[in-house]
Amino acid sequence: MAKERSFTEKEGYFGDFGGRYSPEILTEALIELEETYNKLRKDKKFQKDLEFYRRNYIGRPSPLTYAEKLTKAWGGAKIWLKREDLNHTGAHKINNTIGQALIAKAMGKRRIIAETGAGQHGVATATVGALFEFETAIFMGEEDLRRQKLNAIRMQMLGAKVIGVSSGTATLKDATSEAMRDWALNVSNTHYIVGSVIGPHPFPTIVRDFQKVVGEESKKQFKKENDKLPDAVVACVGGGSNAMGMYYAFLNDKKVKLYGVEAGGRGTSPGEHSATMLFGKTGFLHGTKTLVIQDDGGQVVPAHSVSAGLDYPGVGPEHAHLHSTGRVKYETVSDQGALDAFMEVCRVEGIIPALETAHAFRFAKDLAKELGKKKDILICLSGRGDKDVAEVARLVGLSQGDLI
Amino acid sequence: MSAIKSVFSDSKSAFIPYISLGDPNYDLCVDWADALIRGGADILELGIPFSDPVADGPVIQKAFKRALANPFSMDTILETTEKIHSLHPHIPLVYLTYFNPIFHYGFEKFAEKAKIAGIQGMIIPDLPYDTPETDELFKSLKRRGVDLIHLVTPATPLNRMKAIRDFASGFIYYVTSYGVTGERKSISSDLEDRIKTTKEVFSLPVSAGFGISAPDQAKEISGYADGIIIGSAVQRIIEENGSNPTLCRRKLEEYAQSISGSLRGKNR
Repeated sequence: MAKERSFTEKEGYFGDFGGRYSPEILTEALIELEETYNKLRKDKKFQKDLEFYRRNYIGRPSPLTYAEKLTKAWGGAKIWLKREDLNHTGAHKINNTIGQALIAKAMGKRRIIAETGAGQHGVATATVGALFEFETAIFMGEEDLRRQKLNAIRMQMLGAKVIGVSSGTATLKDATSEAMRDWALNVSNTHYIVGSVIGPHPFPTIVRDFQKVVGEESKKQFKKENDKLPDAVVACVGGGSNAMGMYYAFLNDKKVKLYGVEAGGRGTSPGEHSATMLFGKTGFLHGTKTLVIQDDGGQVVPAHSVSAGLDYPGVGPEHAHLHSTGRVKYETVSDQGALDAFMEVCRVEGIIPALETAHAFRFAKDLAKELGKKKDILICLSGRGDKDVAEVARLVGLSQGDLI
Repeated sequence: MSAIKSVFSDSKSAFIPYISLGDPNYDLCVDWADALIRGGADILELGIPFSDPVADGPVIQKAFKRALANPFSMDTILETTEKIHSLHPHIPLVYLTYFNPIFHYGFEKFAEKAKIAGIQGMIIPDLPYDTPETDELFKSLKRRGVDLIHLVTPATPLNRMKAIRDFASGFIYYVTSYGVTGERKSISSDLEDRIKTTKEVFSLPVSAGFGISAPDQAKEISGYADGIIIGSAVQRIIEENGSNPTLCRRKLEEYAQSISGSLRGKNR
């Protein structure tokens, strides 16, 4: 059978997307990173260390939960959850930051930086910063600092310097630009831990490789439990790291339908959503060729989502490729849909999901009905929603009186 | 010899100021260009505003933001360029642009229209030489006699410089320091050696940029560089005085005179 994977390791392209389109000052650091990673990925000691931290620090493998109550409530396909919310720090992001921290150590870097939207990647980076004794700086948009105060406090407690970014729309896109600028200035002693499957080559590959454990474990666990593969796999997509990690093990299993759920926001006009697959055009952003939400002049349009983790106007280049081949179907769920699903999952299943994941839940609800009772849907529960509770309470109008 | 290269045949280092097109609007930036050229600019760099300028520091980011408050279209950029060119047809104009807006416009069409508007070179900080698009763009520009000007940085090793050589023309933009654009007080002590090496590798004029703002810095670097590129310091004058066009024009012209004057009579 022909392999679905079209990643050409040498050039860092996924079909027509990917590559390295970054300022010249960063190129050597990217080449050094690529060379180091290519050596380490085959290095037994590195793999052993990674495995050690996965098992003893992150808490892997994360469980696969049969969501009996949701299955009953939705009245269709069986719902299974890959519990990345149960990882240390509360999301899949730690899978990547542990791996990249080990690379940074191998390269002799003393400082790490990161961008963050919802703050989960920032917390995961601050965590490895403390664990491996790096000087750590996290760039976060001012608007996201407001929405995700809890995570900003966690980062500071872990010893990281949190730098608010007020340029542009003061969200993830601008935090990413600012982190790239910092890296350009401090490239000799700093490693930039990119948090999603985005950025110039080799980042989309590295992040995917550290996240593919999610799909590999899921596949094994699901097979063991059911002696088959799931019929559909659903994950939310901002930059797309949890989704890419989940899909990768299933790409060649053509019978498994793969779905990515983007933020439909509050409307279809520019600036109202983060639906890159639906509205994006091929372009160049943050060092990679991918689909980008842009206007007629090629200017990047600010994205919106109720979830700080999804409002990015681009998407990982491998996703753009999987979209173009049709292997993965990308859908959207609105802000309201995500809020509804958030509350429903809390109350029905006893799990507070990240607002990002709530988008995947809302889509899966319809899919469950469509597929019917004999089928199985696997949802990547990418993170827990502690960070979102204050914002959701505000948005759904839960007053303190309601809570008592 | 290209129009750009001929500038460097003079005995002094070339003064290459930069302005962001559209800041604060598309009419006034023509005035700024005129003032800088009258003040002694030898080549003028015209920045095409982009929403996400990752290689630029705060001054140029703010300039782009002001520029993008005006409706952006590549056709307006080209028309504005043509106006500047018609005022001073003997001064080479160079675009400094991020790749996305020109990719989106279609770079064959862009190359053709830019040439007609008077552009003689292009600098694209997020388009390294080793991408398929550079290959295509380079051929497209070469057919029209437009130079593709590459950036070389303190982090660029010798083997990479040699590889860039095949795609470079006009001059080399030597990035004097790590980081992004912006004014800096001190200049790296090994800059002279690095520029010397770059000149040897490329056999092209080498202009230094990033961080230069004051006449004494320009004078010092002009002792070994073929050109001095100044962006943020010029743009700061516009930021501070743009609301008073007469004053802004005068300040830009005076600033250009002070830099240009400091570069005179340097033997390289």
